[in-house]
Amino acid sequence: MTEHKQAPSVGVVGGGPWGRALATAARRAGAEVVLHSRRDQKDDDPGLSVTVDYAEVARARLVVIAVPSPVARGVLRALGDHLGGQHLVVHGVRGLGAEGLETVSDLVREETPARRLGALGGPVQAGELIEGRPSAMVIGSRFPEVIAAVTRAFQGPSLRVYGTNDLRGLEWASALVGCLSIGVGYAEEAGAGPGLLAALISRGVEEAARLMAAAGCEERTMFGLGGYGDLLASIALEDRPEVVLGKALARKVPLEQAIGMAKLRVEAIPLIPRIARFAEERKVDAATFRALSDILAGGRPQAMLDRMFSG
Amino acid sequence: MQDDAPIFGFNAAREDIVRAVVSRVVLSTKDPLLALNDAAYHETKRLEAQKRSPEEHKELAEWQRLARALGRMDDGERREKLASFVEHIGWDVAGNFDPRVFKVSSKLLPPIVTYLLAPRTLARLARDPRRLVSLSALDDKVRVEGPVEELRELSRRGTAVYVPTHLSNMDSIVFGYALERAGLPPATYGAGKNLFTNPVLSFFMHNLGAYRVDRRIRHNLYKDVLKTYSCVLLERGYHSLFFPGGTRSRSGGVERRLKLGLMGTAIEAYARTLLANKERRVYFVPATINYLITLEAETLIADFLAEAGKGRFIIEDDESSRLGRVTAFMRKMFDMQGAVVIRFGKPIDPFGNVVDERCRSFDRRGREVDPASYVKDEAGRVTLDPVRDAQYTRELGEEICKAYLRDTVVLETHVVAAASFERLRRASPAGDLFTVLRQRDVVVVPRDDLARDVVKLRDRLVELADRGGIVVGGYLRTASGGDIVERALRAFAGYHASPVLAPRSDGIAIVDTNLLFYYQNRLAAHGMAWDVIAPPGMPPARPPVFDKPTAQEAAQGGAS
Repeated sequence: MTEHKQAPSVGVVGGGPWGRALATAARRAGAEVVLHSRRDQKDDDPGLSVTVDYAEVARARLVVIAVPSPVARGVLRALGDHLGGQHLVVHGVRGLGAEGLETVSDLVREETPARRLGALGGPVQAGELIEGRPSAMVIGSRFPEVIAAVTRAFQGPSLRVYGTNDLRGLEWASALVGCLSIGVGYAEEAGAGPGLLAALISRGVEEAARLMAAAGCEERTMFGLGGYGDLLASIALEDRPEVVLGKALARKVPLEQAIGMAKLRVEAIPLIPRIARFAEERKVDAATFRALSDILAGGRPQAMLDRMFSG
Repeated sequence: MQDDAPIFGFNAAREDIVRAVVSRVVLSTKDPLLALNDAAYHETKRLEAQKRSPEEHKELAEWQRLARALGRMDDGERREKLASFVEHIGWDVAGNFDPRVFKVSSKLLPPIVTYLLAPRTLARLARDPRRLVSLSALDDKVRVEGPVEELRELSRRGTAVYVPTHLSNMDSIVFGYALERAGLPPATYGAGKNLFTNPVLSFFMHNLGAYRVDRRIRHNLYKDVLKTYSCVLLERGYHSLFFPGGTRSRSGGVERRLKLGLMGTAIEAYARTLLANKERRVYFVPATINYLITLEAETLIADFLAEAGKGRFIIEDDESSRLGRVTAFMRKMFDMQGAVVIRFGKPIDPFGNVVDERCRSFDRRGREVDPASYVKDEAGRVTLDPVRDAQYTRELGEEICKAYLRDTVVLETHVVAAASFERLRRASPAGDLFTVLRQRDVVVVPRDDLARDVVKLRDRLVELADRGGIVVGGYLRTASGGDIVERALRAFAGYHASPVLAPRSDGIAIVDTNLLFYYQNRLAAHGMAWDVIAPPGMPPARPPVFDKPTAQEAAQGGAS
């Protein structure tokens, strides 16, 4: 049936809340969207075509990946059978690879023939996209045509899309902001006032920028919308999973239980200790990340807060 | 040998090629006033800065006249001026290729060497070249490795871009010889103009398919002509050779960052064959050229240390311009088995995909992919897009650098230099590079100790090689530490002006610290030697740990 329809302009892979939110946003901006979802879910949007077939998604030239990072490799490998050099592949996965600290776009390059790649970042949240509340998103790609295609697909009155060519920087910034957001939630719950919170955020951003420089990214990407901007949203976003998790940890909720409370997958949990190790290897001063690592390992909250600030 | 490769018809096509280049550059120059002003500015600056020949005095005066006149010219006059200037550059760049000279010289390389060793034999040589032809004399001195069969097959189906590492002015000659040995057709390449004036090397440069690149000329029109020339050659199926490092590696290290300009022309060339409905695929062949000793090591490392990374573009008076040094180098080459190893890597397409012998592209999961899909826009049309292609080329550059690491062939001098240099570092633990280098003829290492260090490092290199991270040859794998040290001593002795390592009664004296630094740098990017040569903005490779027992030693209960 779909064979006779015009090719969709955007394919979204990932039937979770983030994938659905992105599909909704693209639909709102006027794109013809096909969503790949393995979940059998009834949809309230009758105009959205949902499929379990990767070939269907690959009919779109622009494909957006929105799956949790642990399954990304498998999904990309299966999807890769249907992709070619003409595809523009963009991912909205916050996190860095489990083996090394490879980015998700490194995975895309390994698992698919696509080369015109990009990543989504910035402060925008799933809820905002679903409800159409105004927000901002960043697309990072070295290819201007990828930035143009994503802007065309998603930009509308309620969503502003900004472009950067520091793809790797944006991916690192998003991942590190995920880590720091846990710290923000933690500090808020542990009773930090605005001054201390501001100091923590500024220091955390500074450290993240240094880490990024050590990883071969542009420092200033961390100071932009995809880094600082994204992190600032954590202050206000009560329901951001990382913030929820941080708050729970500050209340001495055990990690497993705290993860359950965050509802969405928090990519930062396995990442934080690896970032702390990376900082040590590269001799980058990153006390905030070390403190976060201790918090996840069950360190005492007040002592940790002190260390985040003084360490 | 394929006599049907396009280069054998180059002379007939030359005028046509230059004409194509000229018209394309002239058409794509949007503002002739800007382009000519830029050229006049850079040329005036260059000519004013140097000692001038009468010829160049005249040239300078012409440029000054042109700069004054440009403003008054109308657009038609400017276009005319542009066309004639571009044509002038085009002919200056265009090479020559004489198949007779090529055949004779590729066969004659060993006799030429003989001539260098004993000039009087040239008379005999001229009477009957065949009498002296003995290619086999070089067979075990210069080793050629890699997927040669596959490359032969590929060269009939697509256009090759060879991208080797660059250490020495000998590289283009040695690489040309390797192509001949591998049964591959010759490749055209841009050789620095100084090589054409080098009294020793010019013989090889003329008539062997080289085109001239004058790196002193900095203006954009010149760069446009070079790129367009390279593009037109590739489009027409001429196999090409680029040294993407740009200049010879000053440090002796493997290139970690490339100059992408000329490489970038490959995608445009490929897209143009598609647009003309004459698809001809282009593939890159990374390669490493590995020397037991490097002809110009002393000059290069001195330049590296003097300017710490800001290497001069052109060194006019290095060892390669001195007949005596070239002769000594050649003699050394004949004396040592495996003195030079050229290793071809796996061919890849301009988008980083693996290529098989039928010139089909496969992604990293082994799925065939159509290379044309990378240059198509959303409507499925092939487009020329320099910004897009620059990004592809940037990623290709990263792939090529990875290939360089994998295909680096470790030789005895590198291992012994790295082990000796580590001793120097330990002798001044807190020292920066220059403190370490100052310890000339201070440290003496007992032979057995050095041999033991060498074995440890060798074992670590073998581990890396077994993971595909570097190449360690058969001899180095099995030889004793003492033998490896001996061979390195023999390689250094008698070529470099002063001793590098000197045998003494109490051990081996570390004498020429600069040269040891140069040779150990070959292993720096692999994390197998001290890495103080990482390019700016790139983290250094992690240093080797000499004292950590290898897996084998640990199993034996720490025998050392």
